[in-house]
Amino acid sequence: MTGSGESKYCESCALRDSLVRMGIRVDSFDYVLALMGNPNTGKSTVFNALTGLRQHTGNWTGKTVARMEGAFEFDGRRYKIVDLPGTYSLLSASVDEEVARDFVLFTRPDAVIVVVDATVLERNLNLVLQVLEITDRVVVCLNLMDEAERKGIRVDHRALSRELGVPVVPTAARQGVGLGLLVQTVAELVQGRIRTAPRRVKVDEQVEQALTELVPVLQQAYPDLPNARWVAMRLLDGDYNVRQSLESGELLRLARPDATDAEIQQAREHAPHILAHTATLQRKLEGTFRDRVVESLYAEAEAIARKVVHREGERRWDWEQKLDSLLTSRLWGLPLMALLLMLVLWVTIQGANYISEFLATGLFWVEEQGSRLFTGLGAPGWLTGFLWHGVYRGLAWVVSVMLPPMAIFFPIFTILEDMGYLPRVAFNMDRFFKKAGAHGKQALTMAMGLGCNAAGVVATRIINSPRERLIAILTNNFMPCNGRWPLLITMSMLFVAAAFPPVFAAAAAAGTLLAVMLIGIAVTFIVSAVLSRTILKGEASSFTLELPPYRKPNVLAVLYTSLIDRTMLVLWRAVVMAAPAGGVIWLLANIHLGGQSLSHWISGWLDPLGRAIGLDGVVLLAYIIAIPANEIVVPTIIMTYMGTGMMTELESLNDLRRLLVEGHGWTTLTAINLMLFSLLHNPCSTTILTVWRETKSTKWTWVATLLPLGIAFSLLFVLNTLVRWLGYR
Amino acid sequence: MFEGGLWVLLLFALLLLAPQWGLVPRWRQQRWLRSRDAIEDALMHIHQREHSGQLASVESLAGALNVPARLALALVQRMEGQGLLRTSAGGLTLTPEGHRLAIQVVRAHRLFERYLAYETSVPPQEVHELAHRLEHSVTPQQIEQLDAYMGHPLADPHGDPIPSATGEMPEMEGQSLVDFPIGKPAQIVHVEDEPPQVYAQIVAEGLRPGMVVTVVERSPTRMVLESDTEEHVLAPVVAANITVREAMPRVAAPSGERLGSLEPGEKATVVRVDDACQGLTRRRFLDLGITPGVEIEVVMRSPFGDPVAYRVRDSLIALRREQADWIWVRRNGGGQAMHGEVKSA
Ligand SMILES: Nc1nc2c(ncn2[C@@H]2O[C@H](COP(=O)(O)OP(=O)(O)OP(=O)(O)O)[C@@H](O)[C@H]2O)c(=O)[nH]1
Ligand SMILES: [Mg+2]
Repeated sequence: MTGSGESKYCESCALRDSLVRMGIRVDSFDYVLALMGNPNTGKSTVFNALTGLRQHTGNWTGKTVARMEGAFEFDGRRYKIVDLPGTYSLLSASVDEEVARDFVLFTRPDAVIVVVDATVLERNLNLVLQVLEITDRVVVCLNLMDEAERKGIRVDHRALSRELGVPVVPTAARQGVGLGLLVQTVAELVQGRIRTAPRRVKVDEQVEQALTELVPVLQQAYPDLPNARWVAMRLLDGDYNVRQSLESGELLRLARPDATDAEIQQAREHAPHILAHTATLQRKLEGTFRDRVVESLYAEAEAIARKVVHREGERRWDWEQKLDSLLTSRLWGLPLMALLLMLVLWVTIQGANYISEFLATGLFWVEEQGSRLFTGLGAPGWLTGFLWHGVYRGLAWVVSVMLPPMAIFFPIFTILEDMGYLPRVAFNMDRFFKKAGAHGKQALTMAMGLGCNAAGVVATRIINSPRERLIAILTNNFMPCNGRWPLLITMSMLFVAAAFPPVFAAAAAAGTLLAVMLIGIAVTFIVSAVLSRTILKGEASSFTLELPPYRKPNVLAVLYTSLIDRTMLVLWRAVVMAAPAGGVIWLLANIHLGGQSLSHWISGWLDPLGRAIGLDGVVLLAYIIAIPANEIVVPTIIMTYMGTGMMTELESLNDLRRLLVEGHGWTTLTAINLMLFSLLHNPCSTTILTVWRETKSTKWTWVATLLPLGIAFSLLFVLNTLVRWLGYR
Repeated sequence: MFEGGLWVLLLFALLLLAPQWGLVPRWRQQRWLRSRDAIEDALMHIHQREHSGQLASVESLAGALNVPARLALALVQRMEGQGLLRTSAGGLTLTPEGHRLAIQVVRAHRLFERYLAYETSVPPQEVHELAHRLEHSVTPQQIEQLDAYMGHPLADPHGDPIPSATGEMPEMEGQSLVDFPIGKPAQIVHVEDEPPQVYAQIVAEGLRPGMVVTVVERSPTRMVLESDTEEHVLAPVVAANITVREAMPRVAAPSGERLGSLEPGEKATVVRVDDACQGLTRRRFLDLGITPGVEIEVVMRSPFGDPVAYRVRDSLIALRREQADWIWVRRNGGGQAMHGEVKSA
């Protein structure tokens, strides 16, 4: 890093030897630290660097939605550090912002590290000034210094520190620059070796007047309250949580953390007259309190920024703007999006082919050796069958079929995410969402859903209107997640790609997959629109979407994180879900009743229902067995057809095609039915559980489960009745 | 034998379900009479009539609540027994206790209207209906919380005053738009939300409390109004549902243009965020640093023209058209005429 004249950050302060990353071992610690800051300023990056954990980072606002804890050791002391969701301010009342605010307020960390973006200092200072109102144990981490430098923005961190009255440490967290000094400073602060004198903002006369009336009233009731002024401001603003804590007496804990329950009971008595007083003052201010406070905060932020930020030249947004105007242009915006998606799918399918084959060969060789060994040792046939051809084979199937597409798709996707492309997708697509009465950020959650619907459902927290968030949760399932890709790919390889020369097979399969996704997107819009005109009535409300600057992706870190992450996830699922399912499949096929296997009986019962939607009983049986994990539908179908009771890897796609078409009368229509069914049917058990956790409502969880299933059955029923009626068999 | 059975069944059904006299309707009427909804709606109606100077009667109550006169009478008797109202020669009047309760219902209703309109995404035409349902099911405590949360607002989205917890009603003077003088800036203080058809027309025209309009033409068949940038044509019946007062100097000052009307590449300075924009949206604007005096640049449109990305305080923020239109700006870098200023001159 070259500095012009004075060095911009402490270059020698790379992380020292005295820092020990302790991951998630947070059981005992000496100090608690909190990471706060505007969204997308690099909090999670700092967190990862300090703890050695791999919390997900991404170049869009709202990547982190829940708080995450980690630990590190420095100079013999243990620190617990909490990564909080990004917030623009502490005044708003959206859920993720409250998480951050309440943590600082009620958990009282020993120090708060406010991570700010050096390229957008003014807006970040708004938050810093608010944090300084609550606590004086603050260290400002002036991050993204490398980016600021590239853009010709110079920030005088010493002057900034003087202005704010707290330490300011310049960093470039991604490169690890300056983090040593950051830790050092934090250590000195928590040990009381640095004294701070935080800057407090004065609001206009009328508000100050109201505060001088209210603060003494509060202080009389709560003599030890450290931030009475702030509490008074929150009361005047109508803050629900602060009001509640006053009514319940919990506010006393702010003053004295060791207050007894009896004292808290007593403190409750103060609430009515303090609230009455507040109400009178609020009426006098005519509901303009918030405006006045924020205006003063920004005026102050502007004044500080004017003193400490120096701009060199006006070459700030050149190439970014050119790229943006291409990616969001009228003519090219949408085609480029589709093209990019197509490209990603093609690379995924083509690449996955090779790895899959390789893995399958290896894993099935192990199976053979294993079962031979068992037989050699004289184990009973049913045990060998159950363990090796049932449980192990289920596991092997999932690993060899699931892992490759994920291992390729996720890194590519994460790189796009890291560059800042996703918010542009939301920007391009918002019009459709608006028409459907939904929020444009739903595009982001859908993109996450492509990887995993459960992750997509969690990501909906970035949508802060409850109605639109619920819509996003209920429809996320219509984005086919990675777990469903193997089925979609196999079907398109067999029935679509077969019509093309082999070189184009992957491209044809990618095209089919893209088409299925487009259908999924269309269904999402239709269902969203219907929901917002019926049970979730309302118009699309407040929409603000931040488009972050493009950033160079951190390719190595991305590869590492997403590969490790995905591999672990797939292995875990394989063990927990697929292996038992493999056992069940084997049992169903090998337990005989009246000369026929159980799976034969069950698929027989299901057959009429299956036929009605253009499938058959075997497919439905496979679908039911696969509810825990969508990825094992295909092998279950094959195994039941073959009647062997083992998930079978056929020698080649041609064999499979022969089995389905000649053996069981499948047509292209059957394949289309199966793909549609896989796209639309209910979410997997993990996703259902996540929906429940996110909505805390049994009702909506049922809706999220049954709505897609209902749509799948009715759509297929209508389609197939129509086709039959038109005379096509 | 078979036919006899059918007749018995039919008779039984009749006994059970006959309108008015059947057992089920009777039971439902009784339940209704005792319900909080019925009493509160009656209080509201009688209170409104007292205000308008023409006292309520049993018939008007039956009409307002959409029940047979017989039931309305039973309700009146019941409420008389509870000491909530008195029958006099002129009609029904509220006792002090009835009055107090009525004010609380009004308060709950208007607070809910405000909450639904500004903090949720319920369409304006449906706010009244929903508020009407919610007002009967809350506890006084919840009402207080709602009130505090919104900063003890003085008026609901139609401009109707919200009584305080102690029952004081903020003063709202004003006159009907129908006979407001031509050419003077008028601020809308109230929009009547009933009947719904008329209200829907007003909403569709984009007229709402807080807005400043000027009457430019009046005839027995139509009225033409001008707001900051648009022209509105209304039938006098519709205009009669809008109450206005002379615009205060602060509000009448040049408000410039709506941000949404600017083209990419243009820069402007924020004058203010519209007073009618409250709740979640306003808070977001403030958080993002959209405050008076800040410079804002239109950067690019999305492929369909909406939303549009703006640069504010060095970051790029996309807003939908309706939201951008809440922000009043003045173009930077001369040349262009400013609609707003022409009018106020
Ligand atoms: N060039 C550069 N990029 C950085 C730096 N720190 C973080 N980033 C990148 O900035 C983006 C955002 O980082 P995150 O750590 O996810 O940000 P966050 O503050 O946790 O974001 P939210 O969770 O959305 O609030 C990522 O793409 C990072 O790779 C830095 O110092 N320099
Ligand atoms: Mg984060």
